Amino acid sequence: MFIGFAGMTHLGINSLVATAERGFKVIGFDQDPHIIVQLKQQDPVVVEPQLPELIEKNSEKISFTSQIKDLFQCDIVYISPDVPTNDNGQSDLSGIQSLIREVVQSLNSKAILVILCQVPPGFTRQLSFPKDQLYYQVETLIFGRAVERALYPERFIIGCADPKQALPTPLRTLLETFKCPILSMRYESAELAKISINFCLVASISVANTLSEVCEKIGADWSEIVPALRLDKRIGQFSYLSPGLGIAGGNLERDLTTVLELSQHYGTDTGVVSAWIKNSQYRRDWVLRLLHKELLAKKSDPIIAVLGLAYKENTHSTKNSPSLALVGSLTSYRVKVYDPVVSPTIIPNVEGVLSAEEAVKGVDALVIMTPWAEFKNLALSTLESMRGRLIIDPYQVLDTSLLENLGFQYLTLGTSVLC
Amino acid sequence: MLKHVNEKPIHPSRVIVLGSQGFVGSHVIRELVTIGINVLGLSRNQVNLLDSEATSNLLKYLRPEDALVVVSALAPCKNNSMLVDNLKMVQALGAALEKTTLSQVVYISSDAVYADEVVLATESSNVQPSTLHGMMHSARELMLKTVVGKTPFAILRPSLLYGLSDPHNGYGPNRFRRLVEENKTITLFGEGEEKRDHIFVEDVAKIVSLVLQHRSQGILNIATGGSYSFREVAEMLVSQSGNSIQVQGTLRQNPITHRHFDITNCYKAFPHFHYTSLKEGIFQMMCNRIMETA
Repeated sequence: MFIGFAGMTHLGINSLVATAERGFKVIGFDQDPHIIVQLKQQDPVVVEPQLPELIEKNSEKISFTSQIKDLFQCDIVYISPDVPTNDNGQSDLSGIQSLIREVVQSLNSKAILVILCQVPPGFTRQLSFPKDQLYYQVETLIFGRAVERALYPERFIIGCADPKQALPTPLRTLLETFKCPILSMRYESAELAKISINFCLVASISVANTLSEVCEKIGADWSEIVPALRLDKRIGQFSYLSPGLGIAGGNLERDLTTVLELSQHYGTDTGVVSAWIKNSQYRRDWVLRLLHKELLAKKSDPIIAVLGLAYKENTHSTKNSPSLALVGSLTSYRVKVYDPVVSPTIIPNVEGVLSAEEAVKGVDALVIMTPWAEFKNLALSTLESMRGRLIIDPYQVLDTSLLENLGFQYLTLGTSVLC
Repeated sequence: MLKHVNEKPIHPSRVIVLGSQGFVGSHVIRELVTIGINVLGLSRNQVNLLDSEATSNLLKYLRPEDALVVVSALAPCKNNSMLVDNLKMVQALGAALEKTTLSQVVYISSDAVYADEVVLATESSNVQPSTLHGMMHSARELMLKTVVGKTPFAILRPSLLYGLSDPHNGYGPNRFRRLVEENKTITLFGEGEEKRDHIFVEDVAKIVSLVLQHRSQGILNIATGGSYSFREVAEMLVSQSGNSIQVQGTLRQNPITHRHFDITNCYKAFPHFHYTSLKEGIFQMMCNRIMETA
């Protein structure tokens, strides 16, 4: 059985590799021949742990092509590009609509078409393709853990025209190899299930951000509270309870926007969604406020080191990255920037450097905006090479016990007691 | 949020300050003159906006390259007739603006436009005034917005102002400073628990100056980002005076409300501007008073 993936961006390439690892022959198609050339050289374009290794390991089962006719041999074809969004979180569906039009012309008559990418409720049913061969599958990949999530999904959520009908054998055979529950439901329910999952995540993030700020004011420590929440069965051990700098990455923002648009159309109450968005925007500027209060209002000609540009660790993605927003608000100050993966050239007029050590040397303030593992290993001697003593480490990357009694002013999310 | 037409500051060719003899207007003029900007102040002696000839009188002064700062108001607006008069003033001004195109219009509004339940105010907070004063500013903002067309239009919403020449003697630093000077007891509403963001009038003038130099448009709150209870303000003044003046509470008549400001948008608009803290501002005000009386 051949499984095709049309669209070789983050979603497509990670899903393809997981399918190959499960023993299937896979074909990765992309309209961009440059991407295919890179993939044929086993350069996956996106950064994800295990991805290059699994491409190499499964190379005999994987082929890449920019020829759409090669999809004809596939029993199942996934439409798998990431759908781009604008700054307001609105999806641009024109690319995927055009891709679907082209792909369906190249399929054999028995092929099953599965929409894997992020589409709004109502999208799948309006496609003109035989409904007994058309499915929507919810993706729940996480940037930085995409391969792991694709290999070991908690469940499959499959949207169908009629959930009472059994899934076609090829699709069922493929999904069952992952050994997890398969939930069939109407297209619209599946499309909204994807959004529902993300809403639960956003709600948890908003709770963490709202209450961690209270912690910072009243002398509590959010990290002491979190274990208590995780042991509550109604909340759960894997809940998104770490405070952060707002919602980023693009996917959660897209779903918030989608529901706001549905609300406009149908007249439903979404006051809480607006509040989540507002809280996210407010929290994103946490570091900027602290820098002004603790450094910029006090010192002339300050120098600031910003470590990390990606919106989170283990990814190249900078979509709605709080770090980019911060650096963009500091353009009239001297800022030294370093990220292990993201090139500083994406931001005009900043001083990009080649290592964290080089960034930190001689600065008045160090800000760690992305919790990359390599920043955990910053030597004390590196920190002591700073001119000033202000460290803003939102995600508590550094080992604070090493900093005690050395005169550093250390600020992190969720507590003021470490300062 | 403000957007700048001039990314780098440029002195406007001329600024007209409408309401030049008031508390804010006089400080704006002083600031602009200090940094070398050409200013023409207009008070009600030159153009009375309630006059039947107000529009044509004003048009005699306006030139297309002018930036206009509108501070003129009958404030605080306490009753219906004051509200109507304040709106008539802007009606006359609006008629003039419809007949000419200026380089920029800056309106000095107030944080009174925000709903009472707004505790952490930002420029996108809910505008839902509960007082005539707030309604007056809210309506004037909209009236001006309707007539400025494509002219860059900035709305500045200051919090509670303090400074030596404040004419209103309102509850807060201005009244407390006078009581301290007279060695009189400071009487608080309740225990003075309400927290407010008090803004030094000279900072308002500096923000107006920056808005003019950048030809900014949009909305900006003017607040320090730090809120203090009225008791803290009173005790700060007493402490700085060195006198032993009593700060006395009274039976509370109204529920306690607080207001704080998130001033992130100011950091983004003017990264190198930093507000005078309340402690510094009070110190500066008292020093100015000593110099004035010396």
